Amino acid sequence: MTNKIREYRAKYNLTQEDLAQKVKVRRETIVFLEKNKYNPSLKLAYDLARLFSVPIEELFVFEEEE
Amino acid sequence: MKKTILLFVLVASVFLGCLLWFGNEEGGFGHAELLPIVVVIIVVGLALFIGFRRLSSLHRGEPAEDELSKKILVKSSSVSYYISLYFWLAVMYFGDKISMEGQSLVGTGLLGMAVIFVLSWLYFNFRGLGND
Repeated sequence: MTNKIREYRAKYNLTQEDLAQKVKVRRETIVFLEKNKYNPSLKLAYDLARLFSVPIEELFVFEEEE
Repeated sequence: MKKTILLFVLVASVFLGCLLWFGNEEGGFGHAELLPIVVVIIVVGLALFIGFRRLSSLHRGEPAEDELSKKILVKSSSVSYYISLYFWLAVMYFGDKISMEGQSLVGTGLLGMAVIFVLSWLYFNFRGLGND
């Protein structure tokens, strides 16, 4: 699974720290999310999608495993 | 905040306990105490690192603990438990070969478990959890 968090964060002109405070997680979690090294919980995915006003499937791209 | 304070109290008590333990050893620190001291320093160092990281998160207005840090803790606990089983097997095997005392055997096993936990926590903390 990949995501577009970095793009949307840039679009909304937010720093990683700002985004972390808005969705109530640590900055390191945002770093790992942007590097695709962590799959968030459904709640965090929902919070991020709501913050950027996009559907979850727009923010997170599910790829079929071969 | 309470958990962070509790962590620092725990670290201080471990540190003081070790000072008392090693202080009561006759003849001061010997070679036998070197390994436990190093392990205690590693474990206390990790606890301090976690404690200061929590404080800096609170200082930035972020939660001290979030879903990723909890998952890392759970994952490293489960992985270190699994590795520890093999470690105990090795300790028992080599303990038999070099005829270690029962107390030393248990001590080595416990210290090894602590080191394995620290290493697995560091691994998942810096590598992330990927698509688990």
